[in-house]
Amino acid sequence: MSSTSRGDVAGALIIGAGASGAVAARHLAEAGVRVVCLEQGPRVDNGEFYGDKPEWELMAQKRWHPNPNVRDLENDYPCETSESDVNPLMYNAVGGSTILYAAHWQRFMPSDFRVRSLDGVADDWPFTYEDLEPFYDQMDIEMGVSGLGGDPAYPPGKAPPLPPLPIGKIGMKAAEGMNRLGWHWWPGPNAIPSRPYGGRNQCVRRGTCLTGCPERAKASTDHTHWPAALQAGAKLITGARVREITVDEHGLASGAIYIDRNGRERRQWADVVIVCCNGIGTPRLLLLSRSRRFPNGLANSSGLVGCNLMMHPYAAVTGSFDEPLESWLGPAGQTIQSMQFYETDAGRGFVRGAKWQVMPSGGPLGMRAAYGGKPLEEAWGANLHRTTRKVFGRSFEWGIIAEDLPEPSNRIVLDPTLTDSDGIPAPKIIYRNSENTHRLIAFHLERAKEAMQAAGAVEMSVTPLMRDCGWHLMGTARMGNDPGTSVVDEWGQAHDVPNLYIYDGSVFVTSSGFNPTGTIAAIALRSVKHLIAQRANQKVAA
Amino acid sequence: MSVQIDATLRETFRALADVLIPSAEGMPAASEVGVHEAALDRILSLRPDLAERFFRGLRAAVGQAPAAIARKLNQEDPEALSAIGLAAAASYYMQPRVRALIGYPGQENRPADPDETPEYIANGMLRQVTDRGPIYRPTPGR
Repeated sequence: MSSTSRGDVAGALIIGAGASGAVAARHLAEAGVRVVCLEQGPRVDNGEFYGDKPEWELMAQKRWHPNPNVRDLENDYPCETSESDVNPLMYNAVGGSTILYAAHWQRFMPSDFRVRSLDGVADDWPFTYEDLEPFYDQMDIEMGVSGLGGDPAYPPGKAPPLPPLPIGKIGMKAAEGMNRLGWHWWPGPNAIPSRPYGGRNQCVRRGTCLTGCPERAKASTDHTHWPAALQAGAKLITGARVREITVDEHGLASGAIYIDRNGRERRQWADVVIVCCNGIGTPRLLLLSRSRRFPNGLANSSGLVGCNLMMHPYAAVTGSFDEPLESWLGPAGQTIQSMQFYETDAGRGFVRGAKWQVMPSGGPLGMRAAYGGKPLEEAWGANLHRTTRKVFGRSFEWGIIAEDLPEPSNRIVLDPTLTDSDGIPAPKIIYRNSENTHRLIAFHLERAKEAMQAAGAVEMSVTPLMRDCGWHLMGTARMGNDPGTSVVDEWGQAHDVPNLYIYDGSVFVTSSGFNPTGTIAAIALRSVKHLIAQRANQKVAA
Repeated sequence: MSVQIDATLRETFRALADVLIPSAEGMPAASEVGVHEAALDRILSLRPDLAERFFRGLRAAVGQAPAAIARKLNQEDPEALSAIGLAAAASYYMQPRVRALIGYPGQENRPADPDETPEYIANGMLRQVTDRGPIYRPTPGR
């Protein structure tokens, strides 16, 4: 094994260069900390994306698919999903899943941090919306969020730094329906610049955000944070797949062992280790990091590493209209959103709720995806032309992000046989939707059908659960004040290992019904600022 | 990666593609826009993962009546038909003539003016939402 000397010890070793890792790297490096980041994926050039090419939809189904099992790249790791209702989605590269995310830049609502107090379920978070608000504000600026202030679904606060992106004909159509019903809607906030911002270009509305932004507009952290981090001296090592976080004889993290793309095993020493590998990669790595002192995995005295996985079941109602709506036009991104049924209403027979969103529906090829397995005459032939004429460009969906509550049985474990390309055990996802989730989705689908009808849809179809929807990976190393019932404290510091931190969505106590990246980034910022402020008192390995 | 397709298989693909995407409803058949020509080679080179299923289906279809073998593949080897159908549909919907007929300009570059007042503000639509007041539950004790 090749090893750096102790003289090469990093002040902070960050594992994972995605949303939280990038935020941590930039702020630590700018504070003068010697940062090393290990990222298993490569850097991605915006020229690699197909959004500005005719083959866009063809490549979206493979090379740029969000499911790593479909993409099947060497820099991905496979996920065993035979016991999961939902497939996990992610991207492994500098920028992490922000490379392929839709950039819906949401805040949680105040009740999300107090679900035990308000609804008697799950647990309260160790901080409140108001505690996190200044970090939300700062992340809006660092990412360059476009949106409109004054949403009555939130307490009064600062408006996003950029004006909202257009909501297009689909957003207007959906909003008209909501107004007829007297229901909440609002132009969706997006981490996509409506004018040039921070070295990035203005969004040109290609609507291909989910397969990478060829315009270099969307706020992926390879553009928003890594340039500044590198400028401040951070060292970023790509193609570095970490297989173990090491500890010293006192139980302090001492660094990590990783495998480079030449198959060589290397070691990086560090004073502090910060894990930012997402809600699946992080528990996988902790469970891989077994030792005599930590036989059940690192930071796992609670037994909760890997448990309480939440992935946001996603349902949708798609409506088609008898007028052209240019429904391929971006951002994608969201046009409008609704929190009309977000908060708990005891009369509905379930707790918590969901955020709704309207997004463009892409090109004609993607529309074909739902036709697999149907009779030939229905899927093809003259009916293909009739369906395309009727639906293409004239439809949109109300997507429903259902809040799933934490349950210990929904979890990540190490698969006994499946491995990645380096022979490291792959994660197995065990995830089933609860009765509360089923009821929640059924209620929301009925309301979304009403919304679609009010908007004037001439036909509707319902997707009760989309299997490829697990973008939001949360809860598998939860935060809390009690080491017996949580893995890290409110600053992401592991209860068991005082120089080990976790900053990604693993630390979420509950999932909310919102796209989580805005909250992941805000929590990472809050945590890393605390770490910087307290660094004189930080315990480190000898 | 280069994937070669011989004349027999290319012709078999052309015939199957015309079953899947016929001339109807004012739209041209697949072969009329050349889905079996250079566009097919481009698709197979971009998506080598399709090759095994694609060629398996075509080999089974050689010399068979196109409509009958399409139905048979759909029942007995849907993965193969799916690969053939994806290649046909991807090629078809990339053709400028087809895009023009369905009114699709592609994923276009159409930036908006960020300083323009949105229609939903100018016409008062959003005002209806704000007039109803807050809908969130505040943090207890705040």
